[in-house]
Amino acid sequence: MFNRRTLAIIKRELRTKLFSKSFILMTLLVPLFMILIFSIQYFIHSMSDEQRSDIIIVSDSDEILNKVENEIFQTSAFKSGDLTSRTEKSEINNFESKLNQLKSDLINQRVTGVVFIPSSALQTKEVKYYSANPNNSTLFYKIKPSINKALVEIYFSGKQLTQEEIKFARKDVDISGFRVSSDKEVAQEGYGNRIAMVLFSFLLYMALLFSGSMTMNAVVEEKSNKIVEVLLSSASSTELMAGKILGTVIVELIQMAIWLSPMFLLLTTSWFFIPAEFMPQMSIGYIFYFLFNYGLALITYVALYATVGAIFDNPQDAQSGVWPLMLLIMIPFFIALGLESNSQTSLAIITSLLPFASLIVMPARILMVEVPMWQVLLAIVINVVVLIGIFKLAGKIYRIGILLTGKKPKWSEVFRWLKLSN
Amino acid sequence: MNALEVKSLTKRFNGLTAVDNASFSVSEGSVFGLIGRNGAGKTTTIRMMLNIYFPDEGEVLFRGKKTEQDFKDIVGYLPEERGLYKKMKVIDMLLFLSELKGKKGNQVLKSANYYLERFELADRKNSKVEDLSKGNQQKIQFIGTILHDPDFLIFDEPFSGLDPINTNLLKEIILEMKQKGKVVIFSTHLMEFAEKMCDSIAMIDKGKIILNGKLNDIKAKYASRNVSLDYQGNISFLNNHSLVESVEDFGNTTGIRLKNENTDQQLLKLLIENNIAIKKFNVDEISLYEIFISLAGKEVTDVQ
Repeated sequence: MFNRRTLAIIKRELRTKLFSKSFILMTLLVPLFMILIFSIQYFIHSMSDEQRSDIIIVSDSDEILNKVENEIFQTSAFKSGDLTSRTEKSEINNFESKLNQLKSDLINQRVTGVVFIPSSALQTKEVKYYSANPNNSTLFYKIKPSINKALVEIYFSGKQLTQEEIKFARKDVDISGFRVSSDKEVAQEGYGNRIAMVLFSFLLYMALLFSGSMTMNAVVEEKSNKIVEVLLSSASSTELMAGKILGTVIVELIQMAIWLSPMFLLLTTSWFFIPAEFMPQMSIGYIFYFLFNYGLALITYVALYATVGAIFDNPQDAQSGVWPLMLLIMIPFFIALGLESNSQTSLAIITSLLPFASLIVMPARILMVEVPMWQVLLAIVINVVVLIGIFKLAGKIYRIGILLTGKKPKWSEVFRWLKLSN
Repeated sequence: MNALEVKSLTKRFNGLTAVDNASFSVSEGSVFGLIGRNGAGKTTTIRMMLNIYFPDEGEVLFRGKKTEQDFKDIVGYLPEERGLYKKMKVIDMLLFLSELKGKKGNQVLKSANYYLERFELADRKNSKVEDLSKGNQQKIQFIGTILHDPDFLIFDEPFSGLDPINTNLLKEIILEMKQKGKVVIFSTHLMEFAEKMCDSIAMIDKGKIILNGKLNDIKAKYASRNVSLDYQGNISFLNNHSLVESVEDFGNTTGIRLKNENTDQQLLKLLIENNIAIKKFNVDEISLYEIFISLAGKEVTDVQ
């Protein structure tokens, strides 16, 4: 399978791809694109923060009104002008008519919402919020602590408690995450690994989809412009397929290495400064593992895409035949993204050992938790075995499909090709 | 000696038999024609000879051994449907095709330049293939077929889509190859070309070989009862005459097939007696087309 013909095909792939405009463009554009996506996310996030809110706090108790207002005055949102509030006193019986008066202001968004804190809240802590948009979690996040603090203070002020005790009661619980691993030190967890996980998964996902469909189109093109018959008079279909796939894999690995080089430098040098909480906790070994795993994933998926390309003789048909493969990349990608909120689900553990899925889930999981070495190795072994199987099957389909033109073959026919002995 | 021996090749596609028990042989240093109408099974046979398709039955022997990669290395193949990498430079494309055959380095570059010169494409060697006209792309494809100096040349319908100048160039090169002692195999539905260029032929119809052997032998065998005639007058009386088996009108000439051998002089006498003005009376001449018709039947329309 590996001989001078395979080598000649690999060399041609490298020569035509490495110096092509699209390779250079992609190499530059993908990092830009990723930066753009992350900035847009950040922008949208901060937009929802910057939304100005004008609220009216209504209560039947002057004490509640004063305390809550005092607390709100101390919030950063109030200080930055994102949040304004005024207070209005109203008996519980009159609240409904008060609300009716404010109705048009609420609907027209002149007032963001009305927070009704009856004195019963001192027992029940139940507060009502009236608004055209009642599920405004950004706003709740800003005002809830203030209301809580005010209620706690009033509640305890009648009791014989020291200021410290009240302060303790007022304080919210603060959870910080620590990563426990077999390393001696227990490191405080920042956002670094979560960001890196999303980034790496995204990179893997995009690169696989892209290189897969590139290969598929190249095979379809070779088939439809008939060069394949000339090539087959010199080389066998296996040599042709192996050369094509390995050529693509080498090119894509080079590209990925370029994309990862800033990460590599970040880990090994002090050229870049990144706030500690954004600094991912990963070793250089991980970068090499990621590249190795990417290589496996490329061979697996590129072989499958090339096979689909060999079945069809025009890009449209091929596109419609490729959706099972896209699912095979997309589902693991979404599972990987799901690790961000909880990385120890059984779904994550199982999929990180399944063929195909593990190629995408495992590298993400390793970034989030410490995965036992045997699982990492097992995933690699499983993937290599699957890859060899795929190469065999793909070779059979490729050999028959590559010279077939005209009618679009049915899947049942394709399965029959697999059964043919030679 | 037989350079290539095709033995009982059979290939079926979805229950349809494309090639049915085909056998023929090609001797060293000869020009061999595989002749038949479109869809007769020529391309499938050639693909099996090249190991591109694996036959369902039968085998192809190259100098007595089953064809393997060593055969692919010394063969130059020009498929009917030409194809090149459109985005590659002409010279890179040629060198790549040669490298696949195991030939690279200065010698190949030199001969690539030689052929480009000869085909008047020297100034386009750094152009992309897609920037060349269709005719020029065909020339590049042709150079790619012969650049590695193969011992065997297989051309599938080499003349289809070629303008007269390129057709002549191609004929010239085929003859040149023959003089160098190479084996040239081509398939065609153009009997006229086959007749002029081939030493031996195999005729294929509906997947079956219906005739095969040296062209001279075939002609001699079929000619002794054939007369080709140019005349003025009415020869319709021949239609039911006891001497004549059939009369075939080819426009300019008429082919007459006699019932028995050595009755041509009687036919000549008969024509003179009936006051036919004879311009040309040629015994022992039969075209490949006439042979093909007599074998494959008259429904043939796409063969000339």
